[in-house]
Amino acid sequence: MRIASSLIFLSALLVASCAKKPDTGEDPKVTTLGSIEVTAQLVEIRGALINDPLYDYAHVMKYKLLQIHRGEVNKETMYIGHYDPAKPRDKVADARVREIGGNVRQFRVGDIHRMALEVPIDDYYMGGIINKYFGEVNEPAYWAIWTNRVVK
Amino acid sequence: MTKEACEKSVRRSMGILPMSRRAILALPGVAFHGRDAFDTWLALVVLGLLGACVTWGAQDDKVAQLAKEVGAKGWIVYAARDDSGTWDLFLMRPDGSQRRDITNTPDFEEGGPRFSPDGKKLLYRRFARGVVIDHDKWGFQGNLMIAENDGSKPVQIGGDREYPWASWSPDGRQIACLALKGIQIVDLETKKVVREFPRKGIYQQLFWSPDGKWFCGVANTRMMWTIVRMNAESGELNVVHEFQSCTPDWFADSARIVYPSRPAGQSGNNGQGFTQLWYSDGDGKDAKMIYGEDGYHIYGGALSPDSRYVLFTRCPQDGGGSERSGAPICIMRMADAPAIGGASPELRKVHPEAKDSPVVQLVEGWEPCWTYTEIGAQK
Repeated sequence: MRIASSLIFLSALLVASCAKKPDTGEDPKVTTLGSIEVTAQLVEIRGALINDPLYDYAHVMKYKLLQIHRGEVNKETMYIGHYDPAKPRDKVADARVREIGGNVRQFRVGDIHRMALEVPIDDYYMGGIINKYFGEVNEPAYWAIWTNRVVK
Repeated sequence: MTKEACEKSVRRSMGILPMSRRAILALPGVAFHGRDAFDTWLALVVLGLLGACVTWGAQDDKVAQLAKEVGAKGWIVYAARDDSGTWDLFLMRPDGSQRRDITNTPDFEEGGPRFSPDGKKLLYRRFARGVVIDHDKWGFQGNLMIAENDGSKPVQIGGDREYPWASWSPDGRQIACLALKGIQIVDLETKKVVREFPRKGIYQQLFWSPDGKWFCGVANTRMMWTIVRMNAESGELNVVHEFQSCTPDWFADSARIVYPSRPAGQSGNNGQGFTQLWYSDGDGKDAKMIYGEDGYHIYGGALSPDSRYVLFTRCPQDGGGSERSGAPICIMRMADAPAIGGASPELRKVHPEAKDSPVVQLVEGWEPCWTYTEIGAQK
């Protein structure tokens, strides 16, 4: 009985130690780059993320705005373009896009991101854009410069 | 003619190879049983080879005739690997003769050459030695260079990554650049931006029409990889061709645009399909295939100065080969379009009207450009 209790206690301790610590996603990059900084929840990724070593695209994703840290955002739904989203953010900078990064390793619907942004995307990025919201949404897409994961 | 003699003939003429031969050589395996069946099969094979040799011979003649026809029509400039392995610029006659390295810079890589409209100057980009030239990003890699048409007197224009995707104005006195801020017209004498306007989604490969009235480029519109035409005066944009199309260039009449395109619905290349060479009117009407071949991606489309002939590269891998050693440069008559190379059974079903046209296949290279201007002896 004593052994069983000890095992249960140890298991609970292990689970507690593995649980992710809260993280606001704040770091010196996300708080200084770009003119807009928000925390938002990724609600939809339309279309498959392309992982082709020959080509690099920006993929526009749909977010629900949770908090504005810097700059001005007027709508609760934001459309944000991420460069080469099949790659981890710390591996995505290249000859085309030099200033980009963050700690997000994978884009998953439901995740919360703290992002440094610019708008419109065309003023900050010159390359192929996969925008499955074209013709449906009139507002300009944002350009994600720095993307960190937020853990509540 | 025996099979051996026939194959010897094939090997002898590998320099200028008719496109249809490769498929004929790739005979499928045949199962047979018994001596009579074997004899019958052998007879059929010999007859087939005889017929093929006659066909090849005729095609050889047509290819040789085309090579002779274009041989004295000016020069082609292109990028290719030199003996040290770096990318240099080369000149050759359109029949592949008189090939010469005109940059010969072991400390640099060079690519993307374009003759000025009068053929007297060359514009290209120069990169640090060892830089991998990205087929999709080279227009904003490295430095812009301008030299005489024989590669002499090279002058660096601006610094690293400046004057992105630069292309000549019709009079050769200005360049159009595609920058994040927009399309910039730069006076070459003063290096000043004399005009700037929104790029409206164009993101690479901007080219000014010979009559100065239009630009063409690759843009994000309803979808990416769309060929567009922009009115140089008003900035108004129209779609020329949507879906998987790139590297557009102008016909001499400024009314038509040539571009590689990868139509949907192809089963080859794991369902990704192969890139073919197409052209359309500038308003997007009357799209027609020029050349296609299952198993090869056709890039580098460029017209001769009179638009009677078309240049392209033929690469088994996607991208045109700038990351490796380029791909064979080919020349075809526009009057012989549409044409299909190799067996290409799937493509022939889509384009039953296409011909087995003579195609002169030259050396490996990348982004060729053609001028009818005479270029003197090597300096």
